[in-house]
Amino acid sequence: MKKYTLTIVSIVSIAATLLWLFGLGWTLQDQFSATKKMEQPKVKTESSTAKKQEGTLTIFALGDSLTRGTGDADGKGYTGYLTDRLKDKTNQDINLLNTAIKGETSRGLLKQLQQSEIQRQTKQADVIVMTIGGNDLFQQGAALESLDMNAINGKKQIYLNNVKKIYSQLRELNKDAVIYHVGLYNPFSNMPDASTTSSIVRDWNFQSAETAAGYENIVYVPTFDLFQLQVENYLYTDQFHPNTEGYKLIAERVASLINFEQEEKKS
Amino acid sequence: MINLVRNEMLKLLRKKRLYVIILIIAFLVPLFTYAQFKEIQEQREKLGNQDWRTVLQQEITDTQNRLSSSRIQDEWRKYLKIRLSQQQYYLENDIDPRAPGAPTFMRIFVENSIDLLLPLLVMVIVADLVSSEASGGTIKLLLTRPVKRWRILLSKYLAMLLSVSFIVLSVAVLSYGISGVVFGYGGWNMPLLTGFTVSGDELLTDHVHIVPQWQYILMEFGLVWYVCMIVGTLTFMLSVLLRSTAAVMGIMLASLIAGAILANMVASWESAKYFFMVNLNLTNYVSGMATPIEGMSLGFSMSVLAVWGIAGFIIAFVTFSKRDIY
Repeated sequence: MKKYTLTIVSIVSIAATLLWLFGLGWTLQDQFSATKKMEQPKVKTESSTAKKQEGTLTIFALGDSLTRGTGDADGKGYTGYLTDRLKDKTNQDINLLNTAIKGETSRGLLKQLQQSEIQRQTKQADVIVMTIGGNDLFQQGAALESLDMNAINGKKQIYLNNVKKIYSQLRELNKDAVIYHVGLYNPFSNMPDASTTSSIVRDWNFQSAETAAGYENIVYVPTFDLFQLQVENYLYTDQFHPNTEGYKLIAERVASLINFEQEEKKS
Repeated sequence: MINLVRNEMLKLLRKKRLYVIILIIAFLVPLFTYAQFKEIQEQREKLGNQDWRTVLQQEITDTQNRLSSSRIQDEWRKYLKIRLSQQQYYLENDIDPRAPGAPTFMRIFVENSIDLLLPLLVMVIVADLVSSEASGGTIKLLLTRPVKRWRILLSKYLAMLLSVSFIVLSVAVLSYGISGVVFGYGGWNMPLLTGFTVSGDELLTDHVHIVPQWQYILMEFGLVWYVCMIVGTLTFMLSVLLRSTAAVMGIMLASLIAGAILANMVASWESAKYFFMVNLNLTNYVSGMATPIEGMSLGFSMSVLAVWGIAGFIIAFVTFSKRDIY
Protein backbone atom coordinates (compact mmCIF):
# COMPACT_ATOMS: atom_id res chain seq x y z
CA MET A 1 0.00 0.00 0.00
CA LYS A 2 2.75 2.43 1.00
CA LYS A 3 4.79 1.48 -2.01
CA TYR A 4 1.81 2.03 -4.23
CA THR A 5 1.26 5.57 -2.93
CA LEU A 6 4.93 6.32 -3.31
CA THR A 7 4.96 5.30 -6.97
CA ILE A 8 1.85 7.27 -7.77
CA VAL A 9 3.05 10.41 -6.01
CA SER A 10 6.42 10.15 -7.70
CA ILE A 11 5.00 9.68 -11.17
CA VAL A 12 2.48 12.49 -10.71
CA SER A 13 5.23 14.76 -9.42
CA ILE A 14 7.49 14.01 -12.37
CA ALA A 15 4.64 14.68 -14.80
CA ALA A 16 3.84 17.92 -12.96
CA THR A 17 7.48 18.99 -13.14
CA LEU A 18 7.47 18.54 -16.89
CA LEU A 19 4.20 20.43 -17.21
CA TRP A 20 5.43 23.39 -15.18
CA LEU A 21 8.72 23.47 -17.03
CA PHE A 22 6.76 23.60 -20.23
CA GLY A 23 4.64 26.44 -18.86
CA LEU A 24 7.75 28.32 -17.80
CA GLY A 25 9.32 27.86 -21.22
CA TRP A 26 6.16 29.06 -22.88
CA THR A 27 6.13 32.17 -20.70
CA LEU A 28 9.68 33.00 -21.70
CA GLN A 29 8.91 32.45 -25.35
CA ASP A 30 5.69 34.44 -25.14
CA GLN A 31 6.94 37.37 -23.11
CA PHE A 32 10.32 37.87 -24.72
CA SER A 33 9.59 37.39 -28.39
CA ALA A 34 9.00 40.96 -29.44
CA THR A 35 7.07 40.71 -32.66
CA LYS A 36 3.59 39.87 -31.56
CA LYS A 37 0.77 41.59 -33.28
CA MET A 38 -2.44 42.31 -31.55
CA GLU A 39 -5.35 40.90 -33.46
CA GLN A 40 -8.70 42.37 -32.65
CA PRO A 41 -11.31 39.96 -31.41
CA LYS A 42 -13.55 39.37 -34.37
CA VAL A 43 -16.97 39.03 -32.90
CA LYS A 44 -18.38 41.27 -30.26
CA THR A 45 -20.26 39.40 -27.60
CA GLU A 46 -23.99 39.65 -27.81
CA SER A 47 -24.64 42.17 -25.08
CA SER A 48 -22.13 44.68 -26.40
CA THR A 49 -24.73 45.97 -28.80
CA ALA A 50 -27.01 48.56 -27.30
CA LYS A 51 -30.01 46.89 -25.80
CA LYS A 52 -32.37 48.66 -23.50
CA GLN A 53 -33.50 46.89 -20.42
CA GLU A 54 -37.21 46.38 -20.39
CA GLY A 55 -39.19 47.69 -17.46
CA THR A 56 -36.40 49.72 -15.93
CA LEU A 57 -35.66 53.37 -16.27
CA THR A 58 -31.98 53.91 -16.89
CA ILE A 59 -30.60 57.24 -15.79
CA PHE A 60 -27.21 57.97 -17.21
CA ALA A 61 -25.33 60.68 -15.35
CA LEU A 62 -22.19 62.31 -16.63
CA GLY A 63 -20.17 65.42 -15.96
CA ASP A 64 -18.17 66.82 -13.07
CA SER A 65 -18.01 66.79 -9.29
CA LEU A 66 -21.60 68.01 -8.91
CA THR A 67 -22.90 64.89 -10.59
CA ARG A 68 -20.41 62.81 -8.63
CA GLY A 69 -21.76 64.28 -5.42
CA THR A 70 -18.73 65.97 -3.90
CA GLY A 71 -19.71 67.67 -0.68
CA ASP A 72 -22.68 65.46 0.10
CA ALA A 73 -22.28 63.75 3.45
CA ASP A 74 -23.89 60.58 2.09
CA GLY A 75 -21.94 60.72 -1.15
CA LYS A 76 -25.12 60.43 -3.17
CA GLY A 77 -25.18 63.80 -4.86
CA TYR A 78 -28.21 65.09 -6.68
CA THR A 79 -28.28 61.96 -8.86
CA GLY A 80 -28.74 59.79 -5.77
CA TYR A 81 -31.52 61.92 -4.32
CA LEU A 82 -33.10 62.15 -7.74
CA THR A 83 -33.20 58.39 -7.98
CA ASP A 84 -34.68 58.17 -4.47
CA ARG A 85 -37.42 60.62 -5.34
CA LEU A 86 -38.28 58.93 -8.58
CA LYS A 87 -38.43 55.58 -6.86
CA ASP A 88 -41.03 57.01 -4.50
CA LYS A 89 -43.10 58.35 -7.31
CA THR A 90 -43.11 55.47 -9.76
CA ASN A 91 -43.18 51.72 -9.57
CA GLN A 92 -40.49 51.39 -12.16
CA ASP A 93 -37.09 50.02 -11.34
CA ILE A 94 -34.54 52.74 -11.68
CA ASN A 95 -31.02 52.06 -12.68
CA LEU A 96 -28.49 54.83 -12.13
CA LEU A 97 -25.20 54.83 -13.98
CA ASN A 98 -22.88 57.56 -12.86
CA THR A 99 -19.74 58.17 -14.88
CA ALA A 100 -19.02 61.67 -13.64
CA ILE A 101 -15.44 62.56 -12.81
CA LYS A 102 -14.39 65.22 -10.34
CA GLY A 103 -12.79 68.20 -12.02
CA GLU A 104 -14.10 67.30 -15.45
CA THR A 105 -14.15 70.16 -17.94
CA SER A 106 -16.17 70.32 -21.13
CA ARG A 107 -13.10 69.24 -23.05
CA GLY A 108 -12.59 66.26 -20.77
CA LEU A 109 -16.20 65.22 -21.13
CA LEU A 110 -15.96 65.43 -24.89
CA LYS A 111 -12.97 63.12 -24.73
CA GLN A 112 -14.74 60.76 -22.38
CA LEU A 113 -17.60 60.52 -24.85
CA GLN A 114 -15.25 58.97 -27.39
CA GLN A 115 -14.88 55.85 -25.24
CA SER A 116 -16.85 52.95 -26.60
CA GLU A 117 -18.28 51.92 -23.25
CA ILE A 118 -19.54 55.41 -22.47
CA GLN A 119 -21.13 55.46 -25.91
CA ARG A 120 -22.77 52.12 -25.29
CA GLN A 121 -24.23 53.31 -22.00
CA THR A 122 -25.42 56.51 -23.63
CA LYS A 123 -27.32 54.43 -26.15
CA GLN A 124 -29.03 52.48 -23.39
CA ALA A 125 -30.09 55.48 -21.38
CA ASP A 126 -33.68 56.60 -20.98
CA VAL A 127 -32.78 59.82 -19.27
CA ILE A 128 -29.46 61.64 -19.35
CA VAL A 129 -28.49 64.12 -16.65
CA MET A 130 -25.29 66.08 -16.74
CA THR A 131 -23.44 68.98 -15.19
CA ILE A 132 -20.60 70.55 -17.05
CA GLY A 133 -19.01 73.95 -17.27
CA GLY A 134 -18.38 74.63 -13.61
CA ASN A 135 -14.73 73.73 -13.92
CA ASP A 136 -14.41 75.59 -17.22
CA LEU A 137 -15.57 78.78 -15.55
CA PHE A 138 -14.38 78.57 -11.97
CA GLN A 139 -11.32 76.34 -12.18
CA GLN A 140 -11.89 75.33 -8.57
CA GLY A 141 -12.58 78.88 -7.51
CA ALA A 142 -9.30 80.37 -8.66
CA ALA A 143 -10.38 81.96 -11.91
CA LEU A 144 -12.96 84.37 -10.69
CA GLU A 145 -10.50 86.15 -8.45
CA SER A 146 -9.06 88.23 -11.22
CA LEU A 147 -12.40 88.82 -12.95
CA ASP A 148 -10.67 89.46 -16.23
CA MET A 149 -13.55 89.71 -18.65
CA ASN A 150 -11.45 88.95 -21.71
CA ALA A 151 -10.17 85.72 -20.26
CA ILE A 152 -13.64 84.72 -19.15
CA ASN A 153 -15.13 85.43 -22.55
CA GLY A 154 -12.42 83.38 -24.18
CA LYS A 155 -13.17 80.48 -21.87
CA LYS A 156 -16.84 80.84 -22.57
CA GLN A 157 -16.35 80.54 -26.31
CA ILE A 158 -14.30 77.37 -25.90
CA TYR A 159 -16.86 75.98 -23.51
CA LEU A 160 -19.82 76.74 -25.77
CA ASN A 161 -18.05 75.13 -28.66
CA ASN A 162 -17.41 71.98 -26.66
CA VAL A 163 -20.94 71.88 -25.31
CA LYS A 164 -22.31 72.03 -28.82
CA LYS A 165 -20.18 69.07 -29.75
CA ILE A 166 -21.25 67.21 -26.60
CA TYR A 167 -24.92 67.81 -27.36
CA SER A 168 -24.54 66.67 -30.95
CA GLN A 169 -22.62 63.61 -29.90
CA LEU A 170 -25.21 62.63 -27.30
CA ARG A 171 -28.05 63.18 -29.74
CA GLU A 172 -26.30 61.17 -32.37
CA LEU A 173 -25.91 58.27 -29.97
CA ASN A 174 -29.34 58.46 -28.45
CA LYS A 175 -32.18 60.18 -30.24
CA ASP A 176 -34.91 59.69 -27.67
CA ALA A 177 -33.53 60.23 -24.18
CA VAL A 178 -34.25 63.63 -22.74
CA ILE A 179 -31.07 65.36 -21.67
CA TYR A 180 -31.16 67.47 -18.53
CA HIS A 181 -28.22 69.77 -18.38
CA VAL A 182 -28.11 71.13 -14.83
CA GLY A 183 -26.95 74.73 -14.90
CA LEU A 184 -24.53 76.68 -12.77
CA TYR A 185 -25.20 78.56 -9.57
CA ASN A 186 -22.96 81.22 -8.15
CA PRO A 187 -21.13 79.89 -5.12
CA PHE A 188 -19.68 83.33 -4.51
CA SER A 189 -22.92 85.25 -4.21
CA ASN A 190 -22.20 86.28 -0.64
CA MET A 191 -18.74 87.52 -1.45
CA PRO A 192 -17.76 91.15 -2.04
CA ASP A 193 -17.77 90.90 -5.83
CA ALA A 194 -21.15 89.20 -5.91
CA SER A 195 -22.77 91.46 -8.46
CA THR A 196 -19.97 90.92 -10.97
CA THR A 197 -19.68 87.18 -10.45
CA SER A 198 -23.41 86.75 -10.55
CA SER A 199 -23.68 88.55 -13.82
CA ILE A 200 -20.92 86.38 -15.26
CA VAL A 201 -22.68 83.20 -14.14
CA ARG A 202 -26.04 84.49 -15.40
CA ASP A 203 -24.55 85.22 -18.79
CA TRP A 204 -22.86 81.82 -18.85
CA ASN A 205 -26.16 80.13 -18.05
CA PHE A 206 -28.01 82.19 -20.63
CA GLN A 207 -25.60 81.29 -23.41
CA SER A 208 -25.71 77.63 -22.42
CA ALA A 209 -29.50 77.63 -22.42
CA GLU A 210 -29.47 79.26 -25.85
CA THR A 211 -27.23 76.50 -27.12
CA ALA A 212 -29.41 73.83 -25.57
CA ALA A 213 -32.47 75.36 -27.22
CA GLY A 214 -30.96 74.56 -30.58
CA TYR A 215 -31.43 70.85 -29.95
CA GLU A 216 -34.46 68.73 -29.46
CA ASN A 217 -35.28 67.49 -25.99
CA ILE A 218 -32.40 69.11 -24.22
CA VAL A 219 -33.51 70.87 -21.06
CA TYR A 220 -31.20 73.36 -19.42
CA VAL A 221 -32.18 73.20 -15.77
CA PRO A 222 -31.56 76.45 -13.89
CA THR A 223 -30.13 76.26 -10.38
CA PHE A 224 -29.02 79.85 -10.06
CA ASP A 225 -32.18 80.91 -8.24
CA LEU A 226 -31.99 78.00 -5.78
CA PHE A 227 -28.73 79.21 -4.38
CA GLN A 228 -29.30 82.91 -4.87
CA LEU A 229 -30.50 83.98 -1.46
CA GLN A 230 -29.11 81.72 1.23
CA VAL A 231 -26.08 80.39 -0.50
CA GLU A 232 -24.17 79.78 2.73
CA ASN A 233 -26.84 77.35 3.96
CA TYR A 234 -26.55 75.19 0.92
CA LEU A 235 -22.81 75.06 0.48
CA TYR A 236 -20.38 72.48 1.72
CA THR A 237 -17.45 73.60 3.86
CA ASP A 238 -15.30 74.11 0.77
CA GLN A 239 -17.64 77.05 -0.05
CA PHE A 240 -17.94 75.75 -3.57
CA HIS A 241 -19.82 72.47 -3.79
CA PRO A 242 -23.38 72.09 -2.53
CA ASN A 243 -23.99 70.27 0.74
CA THR A 244 -26.65 67.63 1.29
CA GLU A 245 -29.40 70.23 1.42
CA GLY A 246 -28.14 71.88 -1.73
CA TYR A 247 -28.10 68.60 -3.61
CA LYS A 248 -31.60 67.82 -2.45
CA LEU A 249 -32.78 71.11 -3.91
CA ILE A 250 -31.24 70.30 -7.27
CA ALA A 251 -32.61 66.76 -7.17
CA GLU A 252 -36.09 68.03 -6.44
CA ARG A 253 -36.02 70.34 -9.37
CA VAL A 254 -34.79 67.73 -11.82
CA ALA A 255 -37.18 65.13 -10.43
CA SER A 256 -40.20 67.31 -11.05
CA LEU A 257 -39.11 67.82 -14.64
CA ILE A 258 -38.62 64.12 -15.28
CA ASN A 259 -42.00 63.13 -13.97
CA PHE A 260 -43.62 65.82 -16.03
CA GLU A 261 -41.87 64.38 -19.02
CA GLN A 262 -43.07 60.86 -18.35
CA GLU A 263 -46.68 61.94 -18.07
CA GLU A 264 -46.42 63.91 -21.25
CA LYS A 265 -45.34 60.81 -23.08
CA LYS A 266 -48.25 58.76 -21.80
CA SER A 267 -50.98 61.18 -22.80
CA MET B 1 20.45 7.50 -7.90
CA ILE B 2 16.83 6.64 -8.59
CA ASN B 3 16.80 4.46 -5.50
CA LEU B 4 18.20 7.29 -3.41
CA VAL B 5 15.49 9.64 -4.61
CA ARG B 6 12.88 6.97 -3.98
CA ASN B 7 14.20 6.61 -0.51
CA GLU B 8 13.94 10.37 0.10
CA MET B 9 10.42 10.50 -1.33
CA LEU B 10 9.47 7.69 1.03
CA LYS B 11 10.79 9.67 3.99
CA LEU B 12 8.85 12.70 2.83
CA LEU B 13 5.62 10.75 2.55
CA ARG B 14 6.17 9.09 5.91
CA LYS B 15 6.34 12.49 7.53
CA LYS B 16 2.87 13.22 6.18
CA ARG B 17 3.79 16.83 5.49
CA LEU B 18 2.43 16.67 1.96
CA TYR B 19 -0.97 15.64 3.26
CA VAL B 20 -0.99 18.50 5.71
CA ILE B 21 -0.27 20.92 2.92
CA ILE B 22 -3.01 19.50 0.74
CA LEU B 23 -5.34 19.83 3.68
CA ILE B 24 -4.35 23.46 4.19
CA ILE B 25 -5.03 24.25 0.55
CA ALA B 26 -8.28 22.30 0.59
CA PHE B 27 -9.32 24.39 3.57
CA LEU B 28 -8.26 27.76 2.18
CA VAL B 29 -9.71 27.46 -1.31
CA PRO B 30 -13.35 27.26 -0.19
CA LEU B 31 -12.72 30.33 1.95
CA PHE B 32 -11.47 32.35 -1.00
CA THR B 33 -14.15 30.96 -3.25
CA TYR B 34 -16.77 32.17 -0.85
CA ALA B 35 -15.15 35.59 -0.57
CA GLN B 36 -15.03 35.94 -4.32
CA PHE B 37 -18.61 34.80 -4.64
CA LYS B 38 -19.75 37.34 -2.08
CA GLU B 39 -17.92 40.10 -3.87
CA ILE B 40 -19.55 39.32 -7.20
CA GLN B 41 -22.93 39.15 -5.54
CA GLU B 42 -22.53 42.46 -3.78
CA GLN B 43 -21.45 44.15 -6.97
CA ARG B 44 -24.53 42.90 -8.76
CA GLU B 45 -26.75 44.09 -5.97
CA LYS B 46 -25.22 47.53 -5.92
CA LEU B 47 -25.36 48.19 -9.61
CA GLY B 48 -28.50 46.20 -10.28
CA ASN B 49 -27.05 45.42 -13.63
CA GLN B 50 -25.37 42.26 -14.64
CA ASP B 51 -23.38 43.56 -17.55
CA TRP B 52 -19.70 43.38 -16.72
CA ARG B 53 -18.97 46.38 -18.94
CA THR B 54 -21.07 48.60 -16.74
CA VAL B 55 -19.32 47.28 -13.66
CA LEU B 56 -15.90 47.79 -15.16
CA GLN B 57 -16.81 51.26 -16.41
CA GLN B 58 -18.01 52.13 -12.93
CA GLU B 59 -14.71 50.96 -11.53
CA ILE B 60 -12.83 53.05 -14.07
CA THR B 61 -14.83 56.13 -13.16
CA ASP B 62 -14.22 55.52 -9.47
CA THR B 63 -10.51 55.25 -10.12
CA GLN B 64 -10.55 58.42 -12.18
CA ASN B 65 -12.23 60.18 -9.31
CA ARG B 66 -9.67 58.96 -6.87
CA LEU B 67 -6.90 60.11 -9.18
CA SER B 68 -8.35 63.60 -9.33
CA SER B 69 -7.96 63.96 -5.59
CA SER B 70 -4.84 65.88 -4.68
CA ARG B 71 -4.11 64.07 -1.44
CA ILE B 72 -3.05 60.86 -3.07
CA GLN B 73 0.37 59.28 -2.68
CA ASP B 74 2.60 59.18 -5.74
CA GLU B 75 3.10 55.45 -5.52
CA TRP B 76 -0.55 54.76 -5.28
CA ARG B 77 -1.31 57.18 -8.10
CA LYS B 78 1.11 55.37 -10.36
CA TYR B 79 -0.45 52.05 -9.53
CA LEU B 80 -3.95 53.36 -10.14
CA LYS B 81 -2.99 54.96 -13.44
CA ILE B 82 -1.57 51.73 -14.77
CA ARG B 83 -4.58 49.75 -13.66
CA LEU B 84 -6.81 52.35 -15.20
CA SER B 85 -5.24 52.19 -18.63
CA GLN B 86 -5.29 48.44 -18.47
CA GLN B 87 -8.96 48.27 -17.61
CA GLN B 88 -9.65 50.75 -20.37
CA TYR B 89 -7.76 48.55 -22.78
CA TYR B 90 -9.73 45.50 -21.78
CA LEU B 91 -12.94 47.41 -22.19
CA GLU B 92 -12.02 48.69 -25.61
CA ASN B 93 -11.23 45.19 -26.77
CA ASP B 94 -14.46 43.89 -25.30
CA ILE B 95 -12.78 41.37 -23.04
CA ASP B 96 -13.99 40.68 -19.54
CA PRO B 97 -10.90 39.95 -17.44
CA ARG B 98 -12.94 38.64 -14.57
CA ALA B 99 -15.70 36.59 -16.15
CA PRO B 100 -16.45 34.21 -13.32
CA GLY B 101 -15.43 30.61 -13.73
CA ALA B 102 -13.15 28.10 -12.08
CA PRO B 103 -10.18 28.92 -14.38
CA THR B 104 -10.54 32.62 -13.57
CA PHE B 105 -10.59 31.82 -9.88
CA MET B 106 -7.52 29.65 -10.29
CA ARG B 107 -5.71 32.48 -12.02
CA ILE B 108 -6.63 35.09 -9.43
CA PHE B 109 -5.78 32.67 -6.63
CA VAL B 110 -2.24 31.96 -7.81
CA GLU B 111 -1.63 35.59 -8.70
CA ASN B 112 -2.38 36.47 -5.11
CA SER B 113 -0.56 33.61 -3.44
CA ILE B 114 2.65 33.57 -5.46
CA ASP B 115 4.56 35.89 -3.16
CA LEU B 116 3.63 34.58 0.24
CA LEU B 117 1.24 31.66 0.60
CA LEU B 118 2.86 29.23 -1.80
CA PRO B 119 6.44 29.98 -0.71
CA LEU B 120 5.30 29.35 2.87
CA LEU B 121 3.84 25.99 1.97
CA VAL B 122 7.01 25.03 0.13
CA MET B 123 9.04 26.13 3.12
CA VAL B 124 7.10 23.83 5.43
CA ILE B 125 8.14 20.84 3.34
CA VAL B 126 11.72 21.81 2.67
CA ALA B 127 12.79 23.32 5.99
CA ASP B 128 13.61 20.05 7.72
CA LEU B 129 14.83 17.99 4.77
CA VAL B 130 18.44 18.10 5.91
CA SER B 131 18.32 19.75 9.31
CA SER B 132 16.06 17.08 10.77
CA GLU B 133 18.68 14.48 9.88
CA ALA B 134 21.25 16.59 11.67
CA SER B 135 19.18 17.23 14.78
CA GLY B 136 17.89 13.66 14.87
CA GLY B 137 21.34 12.20 14.44
CA THR B 138 20.32 10.02 11.50
CA ILE B 139 22.72 11.88 9.26
CA LYS B 140 25.58 9.71 10.52
CA LEU B 141 23.79 6.58 9.40
CA LEU B 142 23.12 8.17 6.06
CA LEU B 143 26.71 9.19 5.49
CA THR B 144 28.29 5.90 6.48
CA ARG B 145 26.88 4.38 3.28
CA PRO B 146 29.32 4.01 0.42
CA VAL B 147 27.70 6.81 -1.50
CA LYS B 148 29.29 10.16 -2.24
CA ARG B 149 27.93 12.97 -0.11
CA TRP B 150 26.89 15.15 -3.01
CA ARG B 151 24.80 12.30 -4.38
CA ILE B 152 22.93 12.06 -1.12
CA LEU B 153 22.30 15.77 -1.10
CA LEU B 154 21.30 15.71 -4.74
CA SER B 155 18.77 12.99 -4.06
CA LYS B 156 17.30 15.19 -1.36
CA TYR B 157 17.25 18.13 -3.72
CA LEU B 158 15.44 16.11 -6.37
CA ALA B 159 12.92 14.94 -3.82
CA MET B 160 12.42 18.61 -2.96
CA LEU B 161 11.90 19.44 -6.63
CA LEU B 162 9.33 16.70 -7.01
CA SER B 163 7.40 17.76 -3.94
CA VAL B 164 7.36 21.40 -5.09
CA SER B 165 5.88 20.29 -8.39
CA PHE B 166 3.41 18.21 -6.47
CA ILE B 167 2.34 21.13 -4.28
CA VAL B 168 1.87 23.43 -7.25
CA LEU B 169 -0.14 20.73 -8.98
CA SER B 170 -2.36 20.19 -5.98
CA VAL B 171 -2.97 23.94 -5.78
CA ALA B 172 -4.05 23.86 -9.43
CA VAL B 173 -6.27 20.81 -9.07
CA LEU B 174 -7.85 21.79 -5.78
CA SER B 175 -8.55 25.39 -6.70
CA TYR B 176 -10.10 24.28 -9.98
CA GLY B 177 -12.11 21.44 -8.48
CA ILE B 178 -13.46 23.29 -5.48
CA SER B 179 -14.21 26.69 -6.99
CA GLY B 180 -15.85 25.04 -9.99
CA VAL B 181 -18.69 23.92 -7.76
CA VAL B 182 -19.69 27.56 -7.35
CA PHE B 183 -18.46 29.25 -10.52
CA GLY B 184 -18.77 26.43 -13.04
CA TYR B 185 -15.95 24.61 -14.76
CA GLY B 186 -15.95 26.45 -18.08
CA GLY B 187 -13.96 29.40 -19.33
CA TRP B 188 -10.71 27.84 -20.51
CA ASN B 189 -10.87 29.54 -23.87
CA MET B 190 -11.68 32.99 -22.64
CA PRO B 191 -9.30 35.50 -24.23
CA LEU B 192 -6.95 37.48 -22.00
CA LEU B 193 -4.44 40.19 -22.72
CA THR B 194 -0.79 39.93 -21.87
CA GLY B 195 2.45 41.65 -22.83
CA PHE B 196 1.82 45.00 -21.16
CA THR B 197 5.01 46.83 -20.36
CA VAL B 198 5.17 49.41 -17.66
CA SER B 199 7.45 52.38 -18.05
CA GLY B 200 7.25 55.03 -15.36
CA ASP B 201 3.55 55.51 -14.85
CA GLU B 202 2.71 54.77 -18.45
CA LEU B 203 1.33 51.48 -19.66
CA LEU B 204 2.78 50.55 -23.03
CA THR B 205 0.58 48.37 -25.17
CA ASP B 206 2.87 47.76 -28.14
CA HIS B 207 3.39 44.09 -27.42
CA VAL B 208 -0.01 43.33 -26.05
CA HIS B 209 -1.55 40.22 -27.50
CA ILE B 210 -4.38 37.87 -26.76
CA VAL B 211 -3.85 34.44 -25.29
CA PRO B 212 -6.54 31.96 -24.32
CA GLN B 213 -6.99 31.59 -20.59
CA TRP B 214 -5.64 28.02 -20.44
CA GLN B 215 -2.35 29.15 -21.90
CA TYR B 216 -2.29 32.14 -19.58
CA ILE B 217 -2.83 29.89 -16.58
CA LEU B 218 -0.19 27.44 -17.72
CA MET B 219 2.26 30.30 -18.10
CA GLU B 220 1.46 31.65 -14.66
CA PHE B 221 1.82 28.26 -13.08
CA GLY B 222 5.19 27.91 -14.76
CA LEU B 223 6.25 31.13 -13.05
CA VAL B 224 4.75 30.03 -9.75
CA TRP B 225 6.73 26.85 -9.97
CA TYR B 226 9.89 28.79 -10.71
CA VAL B 227 9.37 31.03 -7.68
CA CYS B 228 8.63 28.04 -5.47
CA MET B 229 11.79 26.31 -6.69
CA ILE B 230 13.93 29.32 -5.82
CA VAL B 231 12.38 29.65 -2.38
CA GLY B 232 12.76 25.88 -2.01
CA THR B 233 16.45 26.06 -2.95
CA LEU B 234 17.13 28.84 -0.47
CA THR B 235 15.31 26.99 2.30
CA PHE B 236 17.26 23.91 1.34
CA MET B 237 20.51 25.80 1.73
CA LEU B 238 19.50 27.05 5.18
CA SER B 239 18.47 23.55 6.09
CA VAL B 240 22.00 22.39 5.28
CA LEU B 241 23.64 25.26 7.15
CA LEU B 242 21.57 25.13 10.33
CA ARG B 243 20.93 22.16 12.54
CA SER B 244 17.68 23.51 13.90
CA THR B 245 14.55 23.31 11.77
CA ALA B 246 12.92 26.05 13.78
CA ALA B 247 15.75 28.43 12.91
CA VAL B 248 15.41 27.60 9.21
CA MET B 249 11.70 28.29 9.33
CA GLY B 250 12.20 31.45 11.31
CA ILE B 251 14.69 32.93 8.88
CA MET B 252 12.67 32.06 5.79
CA LEU B 253 9.46 33.26 7.34
CA ALA B 254 11.04 36.54 8.34
CA SER B 255 12.52 37.18 4.90
CA LEU B 256 9.34 36.26 3.04
CA ILE B 257 7.21 38.52 5.17
CA ALA B 258 9.83 41.24 5.01
CA GLY B 259 9.59 40.94 1.22
CA ALA B 260 5.86 41.46 1.29
CA ILE B 261 6.27 44.53 3.46
CA LEU B 262 9.25 45.89 1.55
CA ALA B 263 7.44 45.60 -1.77
CA ASN B 264 4.99 48.18 -0.47
CA MET B 265 7.54 50.73 0.64
CA VAL B 266 10.82 50.40 -1.21
CA ALA B 267 10.05 52.56 -4.21
CA SER B 268 12.70 55.09 -3.28
CA TRP B 269 15.37 52.60 -2.24
CA GLU B 270 16.43 51.37 -5.61
CA SER B 271 19.04 48.77 -4.73
CA ALA B 272 16.41 46.86 -2.77
CA LYS B 273 15.42 45.33 -6.07
CA TYR B 274 18.31 42.89 -5.76
CA PHE B 275 16.68 41.13 -2.81
CA PHE B 276 15.07 37.90 -3.83
CA MET B 277 11.95 38.50 -1.77
CA VAL B 278 11.00 41.69 -3.60
CA ASN B 279 11.08 39.83 -6.91
CA LEU B 280 8.68 37.02 -6.11
CA ASN B 281 5.66 38.53 -7.82
CA LEU B 282 6.47 37.27 -11.29
CA THR B 283 2.86 36.91 -12.39
CA ASN B 284 2.45 40.67 -12.13
CA TYR B 285 4.61 41.04 -15.21
CA VAL B 286 2.35 38.77 -17.21
CA SER B 287 -0.80 40.61 -16.17
CA GLY B 288 0.83 44.04 -16.46
CA MET B 289 0.79 45.49 -12.96
CA ALA B 290 2.98 48.27 -11.65
CA THR B 291 6.36 47.11 -10.36
CA PRO B 292 7.37 47.93 -6.79
CA ILE B 293 10.61 49.58 -7.95
CA GLU B 294 11.25 51.31 -11.19
CA GLY B 295 13.32 49.39 -13.72
CA MET B 296 12.17 45.92 -12.75
CA SER B 297 11.00 43.60 -15.50
CA LEU B 298 10.27 39.93 -15.93
CA GLY B 299 13.77 39.28 -17.24
CA PHE B 300 15.33 41.22 -14.40
CA SER B 301 13.36 39.51 -11.65
CA MET B 302 13.93 36.06 -13.08
CA SER B 303 17.67 36.69 -13.32
CA VAL B 304 17.86 38.00 -9.76
CA LEU B 305 16.00 34.94 -8.54
CA ALA B 306 18.21 32.68 -10.63
CA VAL B 307 21.37 34.20 -9.14
CA TRP B 308 20.07 33.71 -5.60
CA GLY B 309 18.97 30.18 -6.43
CA ILE B 310 22.28 29.16 -7.99
CA ALA B 311 24.24 30.72 -5.14
CA GLY B 312 22.10 28.86 -2.60
CA PHE B 313 22.55 25.62 -4.50
CA ILE B 314 26.34 25.95 -4.62
CA ILE B 315 26.65 26.96 -0.97
CA ALA B 316 24.48 24.03 0.07
CA PHE B 317 26.54 21.48 -1.85
CA VAL B 318 29.94 22.86 -0.91
CA THR B 319 29.13 23.05 2.80
CA PHE B 320 27.53 19.64 2.85
CA SER B 321 30.51 17.96 1.20
CA LYS B 322 33.11 19.65 3.37
CA ARG B 323 31.49 19.70 6.75
CA ASP B 324 32.62 17.56 9.63
CA ILE B 325 29.85 15.47 11.01
CA TYR B 326 30.18 14.38 14.60
